[in-house]
This record gives sequence, C-alpha cells and structure tokens, in this order.
Amino acid sequence: MTDLLRMSRRRLLASGGKAAGLVAVAGIAPSFIRPGRAYAADALAPGMIGGPTGFEGAERYQYGADTPEGRAIEAIKEMKGAGKAPERIVLGLSDGSIGQLTQPFPAGAPSIKELWEKETGITLEIVGVPNGQEFTKTMQDISTSGGAYDIYAVEWNRLGDLAETGGIVNLDDFVAAHQPEWDDPERGYVNGAKGVSLLNQYRGSTYGVSLDGDFQTWVYRTDLFNDEAEKKAFSDKHGYELAPPRTWKQLDEVAAFFHRPDKGLFGSTDLRNQGWGYTNWYQRYVSMGSPNQFLFADDGSPLINSEAGVAATAEYIASLAHHSPDAISWGWPEQYGNFAGGGAAMTCAFSNLPKFLDNPGNEGSKVTGKIGSMLPPGREVDGNLVRRSVLWLNLSASVSTQAKNPEACYLLLQWLGSSRIYAWMTANPGGYFDPFRLSDFADPLVRQTYHGYHMDVVRETVARTVPTINYPGATAFHNALDENLVAALTKSKTPEQAMADTETEWKKISRRTGEEKLLEAIRSNKEAWPTVLDPISG
Amino acid sequence: MSAAAAKLARQDGMTIAGAKREPTQAETEASRLGLRLTLPAQILVLFIALFPLLMQLYISLTDWSPLSGVGWWRAGELWNSFANYTDLVSDKRFWGAIWRTAIVMAVCVPAEFLLGLALATLFADNFPGKRVFYSILLMPMMVVPAVAGYMFFMLFQSGGPVNDILSVFVGGPVTIAWLSDPTLALAAVMIADIWQWTPLMFLILLAGLVGVPEDQMKAATLLGANSWQRFTTIVLPKMKTIIIIALAIRVIENFKIFDTLYIMTGGGPGVATETISVYIYKVTTQDLIWGYVAAIALAILIVLSIAAVFAMKRMAAAREA
Amino acid sequence: MKRSLPFEIFRYAAIFLALAVALVPILWMLSMAFKPIPEWSATGEALTWWPQNPTLDNFRFVFGESTSNLIVALDRTALKPILSSLLSAIFGTAIAMSAGTAAAYGLSRFGSGQNLPLALIQLRLFPPMAVMIPVMIMWAFLGLIDTWWGLALIYGIVTLPFAFWLMKTFFDDMPREIEEAALVEGCSRLRVFTRITLPMMRAPLASAALFVFILNWSDYLIALLLTTREWVTIPVYMASLSSSMTGQLYGAKAALGLIAAVPPVIMGIAIQRHLVRGLTFGALKQ
Repeated sequence: MTDLLRMSRRRLLASGGKAAGLVAVAGIAPSFIRPGRAYAADALAPGMIGGPTGFEGAERYQYGADTPEGRAIEAIKEMKGAGKAPERIVLGLSDGSIGQLTQPFPAGAPSIKELWEKETGITLEIVGVPNGQEFTKTMQDISTSGGAYDIYAVEWNRLGDLAETGGIVNLDDFVAAHQPEWDDPERGYVNGAKGVSLLNQYRGSTYGVSLDGDFQTWVYRTDLFNDEAEKKAFSDKHGYELAPPRTWKQLDEVAAFFHRPDKGLFGSTDLRNQGWGYTNWYQRYVSMGSPNQFLFADDGSPLINSEAGVAATAEYIASLAHHSPDAISWGWPEQYGNFAGGGAAMTCAFSNLPKFLDNPGNEGSKVTGKIGSMLPPGREVDGNLVRRSVLWLNLSASVSTQAKNPEACYLLLQWLGSSRIYAWMTANPGGYFDPFRLSDFADPLVRQTYHGYHMDVVRETVARTVPTINYPGATAFHNALDENLVAALTKSKTPEQAMADTETEWKKISRRTGEEKLLEAIRSNKEAWPTVLDPISG
Repeated sequence: MSAAAAKLARQDGMTIAGAKREPTQAETEASRLGLRLTLPAQILVLFIALFPLLMQLYISLTDWSPLSGVGWWRAGELWNSFANYTDLVSDKRFWGAIWRTAIVMAVCVPAEFLLGLALATLFADNFPGKRVFYSILLMPMMVVPAVAGYMFFMLFQSGGPVNDILSVFVGGPVTIAWLSDPTLALAAVMIADIWQWTPLMFLILLAGLVGVPEDQMKAATLLGANSWQRFTTIVLPKMKTIIIIALAIRVIENFKIFDTLYIMTGGGPGVATETISVYIYKVTTQDLIWGYVAAIALAILIVLSIAAVFAMKRMAAAREA
Repeated sequence: MKRSLPFEIFRYAAIFLALAVALVPILWMLSMAFKPIPEWSATGEALTWWPQNPTLDNFRFVFGESTSNLIVALDRTALKPILSSLLSAIFGTAIAMSAGTAAAYGLSRFGSGQNLPLALIQLRLFPPMAVMIPVMIMWAFLGLIDTWWGLALIYGIVTLPFAFWLMKTFFDDMPREIEEAALVEGCSRLRVFTRITLPMMRAPLASAALFVFILNWSDYLIALLLTTREWVTIPVYMASLSSSMTGQLYGAKAALGLIAAVPPVIMGIAIQRHLVRGLTFGALKQ
C-alpha cells in the first residue's frame, strides 16, 4: 500500500491537487498494481451458468443458458460429452493483446484463459505473433500448410483476401446453429446488421469474429488547452477561443500555435509514416463531400484523382509543418512514446491511448490526468459539418481450415466476442483489444479503464467512422495509395502526380482482382459509411 | 579375375578419356576419399538448390499467389506463360531497387575498404595500446545487425545523439530529420553499414599487411624507396589476393543488405531505401504475388551466376599472378 | 621500424577518432540499457547521454521479473530466445564447418567436387529472401518450422560457402611435406587428414568457425520467416519488445542487445591471436 500512497501523493502534486487526479488514482490503480490471483467465493448470480466471479460487479459478465456465451459453453459441453471436443485450441494473437486473456482483471478475478479452461476443459494455447506481422504469419501458415494455429487474428480488412485463399472457414452454418446475436440492438455491434456485415463478413458470408475496435480517435492535452496564458495568446492571435478544433483549418491553426520543437512540444503527432500515415489522409479526404467523399464510384472507377484528392493531399503534406521532423519515420510506438513524454498537444490514435497513457500505473507517462478526447475535425459542406474518422487495423479472428475442430474454434470465438465476456476482456488494461460493442461503451469497468470522458467521445466517433478498403486486393490498394502519399510527403511527387499515379495503380489492381468481384464488395463497403452530419456551430 | 582387379577395371572404365595409364592403388584411395569428403557439402547444396529451383521455375510461369486458394502444385491452373518476366522488364520499382542496391554497394564497399586499409596501415607495427585499440575497433562487427538497426534508428532521430554531436560542431541546435528525408535516409543506412563492416575489412587487411615479408621491406628501404613507394610496389601487390577476398566478401554480403536497413527505415520513406532484398521482402509478405517473386528470383539467379563465373575467373587469375 | 613523432601523434589522433566513431553507438546502447523509462526519449531537450538514475530494471524485465515502472508484462522471457539463438548458431556452425572443412580438403588435396567453388559462391551470392518461399514450403513439409534444428540446418547451408572458402584457402597454402611424410610411413589418407592435418589447422578452424558463428548469430531475416514462437531467436524476439505504455521498449532492447553482443565478443577476444593468423594463412605465404 505504501507504493500506492506514494504514487497518489506524487500524482496529486503533479495535477495541482485537482480532485480528478485523485479519483482516477483511487479508482483504477489498485486493480492492476495488485492483480490478485485468488478466487473469491465461486458463486454465480442466480440463473447464471457461467462467467467470472470473485470481484465486485462480476455478475455483469456472467451469463445464463440463453445467451450467446451460454449457448457456446453448452455446445462445447455437449461436444465434450460426445467425445468430439479437441484437447486444446491454438490461438495466434498479436503479442500486445495476450495480456488481456492471460492476466486476471480486476483483482480477485480469474483470467479469461483460466475461466475458459475451467468451464470447458479445453486448453487454450495462445501463440504470440509480433505486432504488425499478423497477416504475414497467417499467410505463411496458410500457404505452407503449416498448421501452427487453429485460429488466426488478422486485421479485419484482410478478410476478403484471406477468404479468397480458402485458408479460413466459412462460419455461416455455425452462426446459424449457435446464434451469436451480433446485431442485438442494445448489446450488439454499432449499426446492427450493417456493422456485422462490415466487420465479420465477406461477400455475404461470415468469415471472422471481430475482437477489436480500432476507431481512430483524437485526443488533446487538457493542461495546455486550459492554460489561461495559452488561451489568451491564442485568441489574441486567431480571434477565436482556444478549444478542441472542430474543423481541419482550426486543427492546423491550433497545432501550429502549440508547435514548439525547441521546447520539446509538437503541434500534433497523428501519424505520417508508411503503413499508418494514410489513415490520417483518409480522414481529410472522406470529409471533403457530404455525407462522404468516396474512394470509388459505384461503377468501380477511382475518385481520388480529383480536386478533393489533390486538396486533401496538399493539406496532409502542409500539416507536416507542425509535426515532429521525424514524423515520416514514426510508427505508433514512437507516437505513444512521444505523447506519453508530453511531446505533443494533440494526436489521433487507437482508442486505447488514454487507457495506457492516462494511467496512474504507468510511471513513464507524464500526461496522466492531462488527456481529453475530441471528435474528429471536419469540413463545412452544404451547410453542415462533416466530421469523419477511420476504422483501421482492427483485429478480427478467423478459424483456420487446418483446425481439427472448426466448430469448437468458432464456439470459443462466439464466447470471447460476445458482449459480456468481451466487455470484461476489453476493460483489462493488459492488451490492445478495444471496445466496439454498444454495451462496451456503457460498461462501468470499461469506462474505468478507458475513462468516461473518452468512451463518450469514442461512441460518437464510431458513428462518424468510415471503413478502409476491405475488398479483395485491399493490401495492394492501400500500398499503392500509401507509397504515393509518402512520395508526396517527401516531395518526390506533387500532390497531383501522387493522386494520378495512385489512380493508375488502382485501375491496374482492379483489373487483376476481377472487376465484378470488386463492384459487389465496393457496394457493400459503402453501405457501412456513416451519414451523421453535425451543425456548423456547436 | 580377382575382386580387386575387377574393381580397378571398373574404375578404369569410368576414368575420363585421355587418362591412359592404370590408376595406382593410392590414387584410387585418394579419389574415393575425396568423393566421400565432398559428399556432405554436395548433398546440402543439392538439397537447397533442387526443389527451390524447380518450384520457382514452375510458379514463375503462373499467376499463383497464396491468395489463389489452391496449393502451389496446382499453380499450372493459373498459367500465364512469360507475363511475369515481361512485367519485370517494365517494373520501375524493381529497377529502382536494383539501382539503389548498386548505389549502396558503390558507396559502402569502397568506403569500408579505404577506411579499413587506412586503419590497417596505422596498426601495421607495434605501439603502446595496440591490442586494446584493436579489440575495441573490432566490436561493431560483433553487434547483432538487428540490434544495430534499433540503435541507429534512435541515433538518427532529429533530437537524437547524432544531431547532438553535430550541434557541438555547428554551434547551434541541429534538427536534421535523417530518416524522414529520402537522401539522408539512404545516407543514414549507408553510415550504419560502414560503421558495422569497416572492422571486418580492417581485420582482414591488417592480417594481410602484417604478412608482408619484413626483409623485402627492409631491402626496399635500403634501396631508397619512400613509404608510399614501398606501399604501392611491395605491399599492395603482395596483398592483392587478400584484398580481392576482402572485397568479395563485402560485395557479396552488401548486395543482400537487409537487417539493419529494414529496422531503421523499413525501406522508406517511400521507397527511398528500398534495396533488392527489402523489395522482395515486401512483395513476398505484402503484395503476395509469389509467381512474380519467383520470376524475380530466377532473373537474379541468372545474373548472379554470370557474375559469379566472371568473379571466379578473376580470382583464379589473381591467385596465379 | 622507427616512426617519427609527428607520425605517432597523427596515428594516435586518427585511432582515437576511429575509436570514438566505433564506440558511440555501442556506448549509446550500453547507456540505454541502464536507463529508466523517463530517460529513453530521443526527442528534443530530454536527450541525456548517461543514465541519470541508473537501473537494472531493463535486464530484470527481459528475464521476466515484473518491475515497478514497466507495468507491461511479458508473456515470455528472453531466456528461450537466447537458448534458441545459441543452439541454432552453434549447430549451424557445426554443420557448415564439418561439411565445409571436409569438402575443402577433398577439393584441395584430391581435386574432388570441382563444381563446389562455383555452386557455393552462387549459394552465398543469392539473397536468401529470394528463395524463402520454397524454403518455407520445404521446411513446413519437413516439420522444421519453428524449431532450432530447422534453423540450424538452414544456417549451416547458408554459411557453408564461407566455411568452405576459408578452409580451402588454408588447405591450399598449408605445406604438404608433413602429410606426405606421414603417407610414406604408411598412414591412410583419412588418418592423415584426421590425425595430422586437422590438429595442425586448429587455429584456422577456430577463426573460420568464429566467423561463421557470428554470421549465424546475427541472422534476423531467416529466423523471422522460419520461426513463429517456440524458437524465435534474439533479434526476432526483440521486435516484440514494444508496448502501448511506453512505445518501443528501447531500454529492454538495448539490454538484450548487450547480452546478444556477449558471445561473439568473448569468442573474438579468446581467439584473437588465431584470428589474424588464420586469415593471413592462405593469401600471403607463397
């Protein structure tokens, strides 16, 4: 306990004695400073057949027989009774996410892995995959018939590519048999059936189970934005109040205002590197039209080589001026490190940034208690404000065709990806899996880890999020865009050239992928685009 | 006919035309031992060459990719004749990667050689501290290249140690974003390579240098040759073979440059540091067009084989000289 | 040979400059390995050359001890990767050295395997990346993916050319009188090779083996593609050392990097004398 006292005193001093700092400390720190392994009394709430026990509020994550989780467990038990259940299931998972399944949370609880093994008797073996290598390792396993994993967890927009390989199982029959209720209006996916189609399906069939919510979310430093001197200096200069920016123009102005590289502060550190940076180009591009500026027309022709594309690219390049000079070589680990060190006024990142950095347990973070969240900036189009974010990466799990018992694997995923277990898992600070189900945003434990201020903004961001390309050839489409954007950032191409070259590449890829396949995928992708518009003045 | 004689006769039948006389017992024993000794190496070479070569040849004529949904042995269903090869000719990214690989080699290998040679001449005779300095100078080549990659990534940050050192000389803050600028990023990865591999050149060349016979040097000094003359007329010719070996090792390894570079820049920004290995890595793991990768591999193999034959001839000639 | 004073000054100046250049990245790694998180940052004013509050946390962390300021927990420690690197590099070196030495002797003394010099040069010239697709398929077929022995086998093959070429140079230039004398005394050729030649070649063997070992120990690309979890090597493991709390775990990476540098450095120093002799052997005494 002395550790805790010492820490809270330091935090108290650091936050200038604000009550908010104290609450955060008392509320969250003990849970993971002392992850208790001891089970408390193994008592389920009445009517429940399974779920975690041993901590306050555990009943929220317990389930009855007539729930997706309950059905999954019952089906496994039946399988077990028939002697058909596998001994173990091997789950390939990015390194950074494993903790959420193996570390008990909160104090007194079992880990997800322990609970699964206790309830089903099937060993859950988790094989780490280096972050960023998920797709490579999966493709390796499929193409060499390696059989190293029963379940792959890969970025959601590769689902089309993976399904085309024949390396992952079509889950339609299992879904029909076990009713996961992913489109439940209260506990299910955002946008109901459309959301399910976006995250789990390819060409109308289910191939994956979403385990993530990578809705790119903007955060800013409350200590800087609330500083009286800064406020005055800003309004003197720009003629309006310093506040979280509502438009891209404001964002660029605020960022420029705070950009003080000699003092170790950058205006913004949203990413600009290869492989990640283009997600921030996306946000600027898709908000160019109302309700959306699409990437492809309905006839499959690219729309990026246009005024909107060139303007978004030009803006994207100009914004480098208030980034770190190293922005082009920074990935998210550098971004998180920089923001944790107090090196930036704003950034756009995975929704888990506050969970990790506004976190009294993270002694390395200098921004604990100083983070605020905001909606993505937008543009005024036709009398409305179009604010758009982007869904990117987002791990989703698929069953390998090499799995000995695909149905058991599916049942594990149904159990893991359903609202009760998922909320409990995502609240665990031990990994990267982020909230995405309607029920997650309101869950007390999730709100505690992710912070209430952030969850409300994330929920609103989700409603304004466009999906990235998830048609077959997704990787090739993105790579072509990405390379040209980086070429434009490094001034080896003009924005016009970059967009024209991307268009040429995209046409080539469309031809190779097969245009018919593509048109269908483009149409179903478009159905998932948001329609929410905001008033211009708020 | 005795068994031994029969064996000998068979052996005789197998000897190449022109070998008229009967091989002696000793010669038979020798050639048999020779075969046995070389066998493991032959098997290993065959093992790693045969299947990959045939498989690559096969899939290079198809559009096969792991995304195709059929195993590689059924790649024939996606036959595209020589489309991969014709694509290769017009693939700007491929030729760009070849060009950058050539630039990196043209800068790094001579730089490593000259620096290594200069250091070696400084170490040619004894002086206090020699052994300690020598050990320290060899350390960079002991660092695992991947580790060196992470270290150089940090060193070359705009607020990192390299700029910090430069600012001492400039007298003001230096904030060069090395890894975000296409030209500087290429320079940075070359600096890392030179840092790591100059010690190897130094090691080999110093070994060659101390092997130059002392008496010849003395004789030359007595004849009035100055140190530069001694260096060019005695030292360099004596070191010719070892210089070729040292250069050959670095050319071969530098051509494949990957680890440090990939960790520092990932081939970026854009394709600014994309060398041939990085390019192949990316098309293999991201674009997944494996039929095309096979075509690239075979094209490289053909070019390299020609280069290898040529280099072998030169080395043989150099050794005889 | 006597040198002038200005030369000595120049020599020391030049050598100290070279030492500084060689040492800066290594010292940076050394210093980083002992830095606590707040000092890792490489941005702006936070740059510190030496740890202000030196700590062993980074070392403790990679060996799985939970440390107060790194609340990220590792699901596997660096022990197994270190073991994997050691086993695959040692056995890879053993494969390369035994096959290479035997073949070099066979060619040097008996003219067998005339195809080997060219074949092995081609093998080494060829970027491993370009053949990794069939190799991955072969290794999966043989059940060698993610095993240290699978890695050792491919390491043995890719470094075979170096073992062969170095040893061939040594054998070519080794005086044959002793071998011939032994033959006259009635030893078999195999016996001459194992009992006379090899013991005489201890030093060159050691230096070639060290060189091959360093190459194997250094590999990143092959292990990246041929291992998945159980037997990942140090460089591959290192890539997983990043977290959302702190970004890249530079301190942990540096600590592991230091550990990774230990075997080659110890071996290098131990056989330093032979290293020079070994590599001069072939090319100069004629």
